[in-house]
Amino acid sequence: MRAPRTLDLFAPAVLPAPSVPPARAVAAREMPLRLARATDAPLWLGIHVAALVAEAAGTVPQMLQSLARRAQRFTPRISLAPPDGLLLEVRPSLHLFGGVEGLRRALAAECAALTPSVTLAFAPTPLAALVGARTGGSLVVLDAAQLTGSLAPVPLTALRWPQELIERLACVGVRTIGQALRLPRAGFAQRFGAARLADLDRLMGRASDPQARFEPPARFRRRRELSYESASLTLLEAALRPLFTELGRFLEARQCGVLALECRLWHRHAPPTRCVLRLGAPLADTQRLAQLLGERLRTILLPEPVRACELRSAVPVSRVLHSVGLWQPGEHGGLAAGSGLDLLERLRARLGTEALETLALVPDHRPEAAWRVVAPEGCGAPQAEAPPSGGSAHRLAARPLWLLPAPRLLRQRGGLPRYRGALRLEGEPERIETGWWDGRDIARDYYRACDEHGRRLWLFREREPPHRWFLQGVYG
Amino acid sequence: MAADLPGNGAALARPSPADPRLESLLSHPSIWRAGSAVRSPVWSSGFARLDERLPGGGWPRSGLIEIIPARFGQGELRLLLPALAAITARDEARWCAWVAPPLQPFAPALAAAGIVLTKLLLVRAPQRGRRPSVLWACEQALGSGACDSVLAWTRHAPARQLRRVQLAAQRGNALGVLFRAREAAREASPAMLRILLEARGGGVRIALLKSRGGVRSAFDLSWESVRGGPSESP
Repeated sequence: MRAPRTLDLFAPAVLPAPSVPPARAVAAREMPLRLARATDAPLWLGIHVAALVAEAAGTVPQMLQSLARRAQRFTPRISLAPPDGLLLEVRPSLHLFGGVEGLRRALAAECAALTPSVTLAFAPTPLAALVGARTGGSLVVLDAAQLTGSLAPVPLTALRWPQELIERLACVGVRTIGQALRLPRAGFAQRFGAARLADLDRLMGRASDPQARFEPPARFRRRRELSYESASLTLLEAALRPLFTELGRFLEARQCGVLALECRLWHRHAPPTRCVLRLGAPLADTQRLAQLLGERLRTILLPEPVRACELRSAVPVSRVLHSVGLWQPGEHGGLAAGSGLDLLERLRARLGTEALETLALVPDHRPEAAWRVVAPEGCGAPQAEAPPSGGSAHRLAARPLWLLPAPRLLRQRGGLPRYRGALRLEGEPERIETGWWDGRDIARDYYRACDEHGRRLWLFREREPPHRWFLQGVYG
Repeated sequence: MAADLPGNGAALARPSPADPRLESLLSHPSIWRAGSAVRSPVWSSGFARLDERLPGGGWPRSGLIEIIPARFGQGELRLLLPALAAITARDEARWCAWVAPPLQPFAPALAAAGIVLTKLLLVRAPQRGRRPSVLWACEQALGSGACDSVLAWTRHAPARQLRRVQLAAQRGNALGVLFRAREAAREASPAMLRILLEARGGGVRIALLKSRGGVRSAFDLSWESVRGGPSESP
């Protein structure tokens, strides 16, 4: 069993002093300690899920899991009570959800989306809440003092004791919880077992009843079968929408965002198509996630129609919340600069990760090596180099704005280069001879030239024979 | 082409009616003239002669403009450099995106022109193929509010998509510059400003094919007329 994440402190009235489990205190060493007000007696909400038909009984555990995940909206303290029950500690949530009635209504609406056959009950002890929910009545007991009176008419069968024991008790005329409570304790323990007496103590809050907390899965993973095979993107996006809604709940319950999301599309014969979305910053907005994934899906080719889709997330990470400025970035009085990360993500999603670049200078005289490509990280990055102060007009005249991907060999006539017609050389040549240390050394004489259309080009002539001419840049 | 456009743009832009009666008639509030349309904020182009001719006195801060060079590399990028340098050098500068540049922009020359390279975002978008996405990327960048200016090189630009790009530019408060092929000069376009450009001696011949809030004109611009430091104008 996994260690509890917080140290639960029970009110003295509920928990007798000697039975504090030492294991919980040990586990609490590395966990944050959360103190609840000791006078706030816990209030448990029991949920009972009944299978409408016998065949559906197999789906109940699965339903409990998803119900527990959904219930995380209401409280972090959730315990599973297999095979068909769920326990929520709701005292701290009452105020937020508008009291018992508000919480009941909200939870009933949440449950109704999953299954119609759910009953709820409020009680100060977990077992009482479960028993109340199992009996199907609308048991609401907020105060421990009223517990005995409210539970008295409930039949003993709700405790799920062995059938043989129930029958023996019935033989002595004990059919309800109230009647069982009136029996002398010592005699009851002797005749029906100490464990049964302990059950009654836990039911009435005379003994502590710690519950194992429900630990939701760390990653999101949901699969949806389509009712018909389809290759249409619009239909696929519509099919993914409920998955994104669930992902939104998953992330909201954790106050987290995802950095990577994978969508798998299953086909009849072909291996599943995988579509991975990577993000620059943790994102929790499912609408934007759906939009980004949609862009990504647009770029892939489906080998076959899709019969099922699955959404998997990486481990969610806590997201950083930004405050939003009143003015648009760039406006007068607005923020210094929007980082523009959304834009980068959207462009990357459609065009690919390597489609975005920024440039940086490298101190090298070789034109090919004087710059390098850097992956953009957001516009707020500090300025790497100071803008040149003097002589900019001269440098602008000396270097072209455009560089060819690779120097292009030019034809010659009479020792002079030609490029779609005669070229007129301008100004003085510039010699660049460097790079002997890394094997990509160059020895070139650079010329500026003007072609017949008035375009200015940047050429070089090799210093070594055969003195070929190349076109390397366009002034633009 | 340039020759068949009215050549004397400056005189048309600011006519000075001699007749005081005409003056009083023209100052009537119900009469709006093209040259006095509500000014939107502009970036100074850095060329005094160009600023005079452009509506509002510079490149619009939000909106789409088209530059149509007679051939690639005739000075169309150099025309924008002073403004881009001023835009990217501000403290609150946003991205300056270049979508589908036809060749590799040469970083040392750009830095020498005063462009802050960390604000420069190159977007490699396919020009053709199954999904040409130049205008899509352009629209996204303009509308996102994360860019001050977006430069895009495109061959195919249907008018309906251009309209979307123009609206995105207004939404994102950004300057969109579209470099188009010569043939596009004949097509209609929703751009605010359309410039036909041709190399001419030590400068360029500029023809304003369309100028919203200004006057169509053609004039020569010499590269020597670069101001010392291009500055913003309100």
